[in-house]
Amino acid sequence: MWEHRALYVAISPFYILFAVFGLFPIGFSLYLAFHKWDGIGVMTYNGLNNFKYMLTDAEFWQAVGNTFMIWIYSTIPMLFFALIIAFLLHAPFVKFRTLFRVGYFLPNVTSIVAVAIIFGALFANNYGFLNYLLQSVGLPVVEWLNAPWGIKVAISSMVVWRWTGYNAVIYLAGLQSIPQTLYEAAKIDGASGIQSFFRITIPMLRPVILFTVITSTIGGMQLFTEPQILVGNDGGAGAAGMTIVLYLYRESFINNYFGYGAAVGWGMFLIIALFSIVNWKLVQGKSS
Amino acid sequence: MIRRKRTCWTAILLVCVMLVSGCSIWPGQNDSSSNKKVTLTLWYWNRSIDDKLIAKAKEKFPNIELTAQKIGGDFKAKLKTTLAARSGEPDIVALNDWIMELFPSEDRFYNLYDLGAGDVEDQYLAWKWKQGVTPDGQMIGFPMDTGPTALFYRADLFKEAGLPSEPEEVARQINNWNAYSAAGEKIKEKFGGKVFLTDNIGTVYNQELSQGTERYFRPDGSFIGMDSPLVKQSWDTAVSFKQKGLLANADGWTPGWNAAMNNGEIASFVGAVWMKQVLQEAAPDTSGKWRVTRAPGGDGNNGGSFLSILKSSKHPKEAFEVIQWLQSPDNQLEQYKTLNLFPSAPGVFDTPAIKEEEPFFGGQATGPVFAESAQHVPEAFFGERYPSVHNIITRRLNDIAKQNANPEQVWPDTVHRVERELQR
Repeated sequence: MWEHRALYVAISPFYILFAVFGLFPIGFSLYLAFHKWDGIGVMTYNGLNNFKYMLTDAEFWQAVGNTFMIWIYSTIPMLFFALIIAFLLHAPFVKFRTLFRVGYFLPNVTSIVAVAIIFGALFANNYGFLNYLLQSVGLPVVEWLNAPWGIKVAISSMVVWRWTGYNAVIYLAGLQSIPQTLYEAAKIDGASGIQSFFRITIPMLRPVILFTVITSTIGGMQLFTEPQILVGNDGGAGAAGMTIVLYLYRESFINNYFGYGAAVGWGMFLIIALFSIVNWKLVQGKSS
Repeated sequence: MIRRKRTCWTAILLVCVMLVSGCSIWPGQNDSSSNKKVTLTLWYWNRSIDDKLIAKAKEKFPNIELTAQKIGGDFKAKLKTTLAARSGEPDIVALNDWIMELFPSEDRFYNLYDLGAGDVEDQYLAWKWKQGVTPDGQMIGFPMDTGPTALFYRADLFKEAGLPSEPEEVARQINNWNAYSAAGEKIKEKFGGKVFLTDNIGTVYNQELSQGTERYFRPDGSFIGMDSPLVKQSWDTAVSFKQKGLLANADGWTPGWNAAMNNGEIASFVGAVWMKQVLQEAAPDTSGKWRVTRAPGGDGNNGGSFLSILKSSKHPKEAFEVIQWLQSPDNQLEQYKTLNLFPSAPGVFDTPAIKEEEPFFGGQATGPVFAESAQHVPEAFFGERYPSVHNIITRRLNDIAKQNANPEQVWPDTVHRVERELQR
């Protein structure tokens, strides 16, 4: 080992950076979760109090519920649209494919802050673009950012807009890896287009679908910037847009309960882990 | 093999040299070379101190190397993380009206009384001065600007609704929250519900509360209780404004608020002096139609900032000299002219700059109204938990205003949430 020290030194930056910015914060947040700390003064040991408070806090459970609702509102249409777009992009009749791929991927690299401001203008209660459209066709105005479901729809639509293209590109890669011979064999056996879609495309894509479901689960559980910019640190009217991470942020950085914020972080870790396992089982289970 | 290894080491060495030379890790090398200049850093946010005044301070104190850094983004979060890290702290720092959150960490700041602040105490508004003093009597914040409140109203809409429209007359007739609410009903009736008395429920609650002498806590830190007459009364007024349909539900700092103001859908609001500029920028089309008068229910304060010296500073004496000069009554007046920062030194209230007539307010000189208000702000103790309690209450009021939550159910729930909050 010693003779290769130069090489170890060469790869050391990753491990050093990981230890400083990855390992240490993880360990410290676990330590912090059992303490009371306002961020500046002294830390005092708090036992399990932070976790007890979290489990009995109505706002925490509301945040969990909101996060799941927004996840459902956004992930289902997002993956559905992504699959359709990928299928179309893969079709032989489409021209300028690269242009479309870039176009669909573009929302993903747009600043979320800018996106949230634009969506805020679309969904605004007064003088919002959607309400302007509704009014001009004689429909009643919807108070998007006051209704609990309206806030969730607004946040979800932002997620859908941003991530559909990303998932489509991933599905496209999956589609391209399916051997063309399978389709040809199916065609010879007299299978219709729909049959080969459900019997060949979907089963062959299953690992890719599983990947997108799990990444969008993690992404959905970590939703933060969209609601924060759109409805503010308190999650908007009735805290309907309060997600788990927004709650964590508010409790730590606005209300200065850093120990409690760390506890919420670990609670969220458990939820994501459980939820990913459930998803994995569900998507895997379909095959048998 | 050996040669390859050597190339490898050389490459690593080269990278290291480049990294080190790129970011100078030996600061302060030129400290010894210059002729004993004292270096001071100052953190402030955009428009909290006039940049030209800072430039003047550099001339005024030739022995001080003043490095003023405009901190963007979330100023409070950046300050707190710096305090937590205990390194890279500035010597002088501007604090906003959340200064009380830092009272438990008073040992991180110099007691300005020890540096001679007591000598100039009588030049500043007493209530403002006390906001920078902790319950233990340590002064951690030197007064900068203040935010005395007054009633902003649309003279044309008031007139059309058959209400008084001259500032003195409005102040005389609409002198309490009931009279203000009655005026709102007149406006609602006259304009068929198209014009609202005021912007949102938070404004009403916040302003009535700020007119009283007690908040949620006593100076010894004990909780006064949610049955405090002022809290309950402010809550009831805010709820009644909602029930009578006097609120436009337009939250501040949103495009909706700007549009509602510009389109004449909001006839009035009780706001701090700095709202003058916010309003002028939001509603240019209504120029000349607004007036300002003393607020119904009394005077209050909203906002205003402070300057502090951190304990890590090596030159507290020089830092205090700079602070005292920057916020001297004359320089506060200067910053009123340049940045609209309202002075906390009443000595300059009688100067021509304050009495200037403003076209946006129909040629009214609004300065004297705010000056009068500033001198009558009741002294009140906030306490470090004021923001979290206040936030819970205004959040729940918003549920009533925007989601038609039943106030009878929301109140006990709010009391419960506040009690839980205080147990942590």
